[in-house]
Amino acid sequence: MIKLNPPAFITRHVLFALVAGGVGGVVFMFFLLEFDDYTSSNAFCTTCHSMTYAEESYRRSAHYDSASGVRASCGDCHVSEGIIMATYDHAVGTKDLIKQLFGANYDDPVVSLLHLPEAAFAAREWFRKRDSATCKRCHTLDAIQGTRANTAAIHQEETDGKTCIDCHLNLVHRKVPSEQTFKREAWNAMVEEEFGLAPGTAVRLLAGAEFSEPATAPAPATKLAEEPPAGSSGH
Amino acid sequence: MKHFRTRPLPRPPRRGQHLLVLLPLLAFVAVTLPAAAAKVTLDPSAWGHPAGADCVSCHEKASPGIAEQWHQSAHQSAGVNCMDCHEAKAEDVDAIEHEGQIIATIVSPKDCGRCHEQEYAEQAGSVHAEAYAIIEDRVPALAHNVTGAEMQAAGCDQCHGSEVKVRGDGTLDPATWPNSGIGRINPDGSKGSCSSCHGRHAFSKAQAREPDACVRCHSGPDSPDKEIFEASKHGMLYAAQREAMNLGADSWIAGQDYTAAPTCVTCHMGAAGKVPATHDVGLRNAWSLNTPVSEQQYLVVLDDGSKLELPASAKPPKRGTELTKADGSGAKVKAVVTPERRRLVMSTVCLECHSKTMTQGFMTQFDNVVELYNTKFGEPAAAIMAGLYDQGLLTPLPFDEPLEFTYWELWHDEGARARHGASMASPNHAWWEGMYLVGRNFYSRFLPEARAIAGERAAELVDGHIDGAAGHAWLAATEQANPILGWMPPAPESEPEPAAPDAADGDGAAEADTEAEDVAADDRSTTEEGGR
Repeated sequence: MIKLNPPAFITRHVLFALVAGGVGGVVFMFFLLEFDDYTSSNAFCTTCHSMTYAEESYRRSAHYDSASGVRASCGDCHVSEGIIMATYDHAVGTKDLIKQLFGANYDDPVVSLLHLPEAAFAAREWFRKRDSATCKRCHTLDAIQGTRANTAAIHQEETDGKTCIDCHLNLVHRKVPSEQTFKREAWNAMVEEEFGLAPGTAVRLLAGAEFSEPATAPAPATKLAEEPPAGSSGH
Repeated sequence: MKHFRTRPLPRPPRRGQHLLVLLPLLAFVAVTLPAAAAKVTLDPSAWGHPAGADCVSCHEKASPGIAEQWHQSAHQSAGVNCMDCHEAKAEDVDAIEHEGQIIATIVSPKDCGRCHEQEYAEQAGSVHAEAYAIIEDRVPALAHNVTGAEMQAAGCDQCHGSEVKVRGDGTLDPATWPNSGIGRINPDGSKGSCSSCHGRHAFSKAQAREPDACVRCHSGPDSPDKEIFEASKHGMLYAAQREAMNLGADSWIAGQDYTAAPTCVTCHMGAAGKVPATHDVGLRNAWSLNTPVSEQQYLVVLDDGSKLELPASAKPPKRGTELTKADGSGAKVKAVVTPERRRLVMSTVCLECHSKTMTQGFMTQFDNVVELYNTKFGEPAAAIMAGLYDQGLLTPLPFDEPLEFTYWELWHDEGARARHGASMASPNHAWWEGMYLVGRNFYSRFLPEARAIAGERAAELVDGHIDGAAGHAWLAATEQANPILGWMPPAPESEPEPAAPDAADGDGAAEADTEAEDVAADDRSTTEEGGR
């Protein structure tokens, strides 16, 4: 038997702190895992009313309804893998929570749609920076066969220097043009036409006028059912 | 797509004999028309976009059909790739980002015109380019009211063109796209669609020279030009000698590069002898044939490069006059081409194969049909309709009364068929599919329906417009029997076995006063009495 001779600085207090810290750390890790998991769930995301608009198109996409039965959740695509990056993404994501609480009235479908392009641009940039890492959780380039004759060949031979999001944008959520070709005036006009609003309303709403003008009350939610179905790829 | 590789035909020996005829024409041609078939003058460094190879590589897999068409095209041989036509600027209304490139789905005539400058200039302002603008205001009254707006996208606009709408999310509104109608209003403001006739993505010369290039729109009840051509001697010869048409040749001048038969292109656009080719397809048309009443037309060339057709019955506009175009914008008159000049260009094409006498005779037969249609049917029918509208007997709203359909079909379908049939020498369409139906409609539907609506004022509002007209005088000769319907009145002196020739004798029959004849006369009594 070897008798343990702890160094002299390991006093009883230090030992207690180490054990407590260790257990606390493990508990905290479990908490983070659970926290990241819960905050990545569809149920959590859609507790904000503004997120239900994103859910509308998502529910009509192949990422919600697939023949294989695989269903991607909000977090599967929008939260990185691994506890560190997942926690980081959630930490950064609190800015969305702050905007939801103190920013524009994103619960209004009109306001939400007016701001959608910037949200889409940011999301695409997020995917691009991570080399579409969350796509690759499920999709393996080498394994992509597709249903058309040359889908596999295209993915093998035409993807050098490209990442998934470069081609596969507008896949799940409502179609938004690329940032390069986006035209704010045309987008505003589309929103105004869709919700039957007077020209110029969009500009006022974007300037934050929605709280003071009763004329800009949200249109009925049923309007959203008329949206064009999402789910087309960038091709 | 078939390509026709044919032996070049020997140049016909006869030339020069029509030189005297041509001289005045040539003077006109030299002034108003470009001199030679268009060659692209742009420096080749202007095309061959470096990103094109990537497009091709992927599209060979993603859409092998169009990639293969392009591979076999003259564009490919010249080094023109996808990006050269589809490249767009980010600020373009319909620009989209596609695999890292800024492109537009629609390649407009303006885009094609970057290289094909002359064709672009010629088609701009042509009756083809204005095909949407011309009917834009009228479409709702028929397509929307009688059927539904859905039919505009699937029907009218597929030939006439749509006003393409780009939505705020960058997509092209499916109510207006896909569309390759010839008068399409493109997002860049240009009018027309080259791919209406030049099939993507091969853009084969041979294909565009085929009559089939026109068939998608120039067929059917109101403009059965396909059927008319096929039923004409020209079409007969074309079908039999298609392999001798030299359709794929670089130079395709009637009388030089081919003589087997003419196609639509030959007469309406093609080079023939010294007549240069043009992409202004209506240039050689002296008459308007798709109107309630045909008119000979001036071709007015405006200072912005566009053109306008004006009835020759009015005074020709002076140079410098400001005119309003079909789309509402204005421009100043640069030159006026008379119907006689336009006819002369068309006739000069004929001279490559026909004598001057034959050509003039044919044109006379054609003009006679148009004038007959105008004076006997078109003008009285238009006057009767105008009277009924003016008197409030018809509502201003089109197509809410059966007579309006009757009248529409009289001029728009049957009348147009008759006139087109005569213009392109199909006896069947000039007569059975055309003027016979005009006559049948006029006497058996249009007049009776109009009289019914006019009621007590029928004599004034309806019959007043045909009374005394030579063309309708036959109605008064009710005793004039004829064996065409298989009945003749019995010979005056009835024998047990009368000789057949006697029974068929018209004069004898007319004198007979039998009960049967009275019945026959009664059948026509409404028409006859109304005519008095």
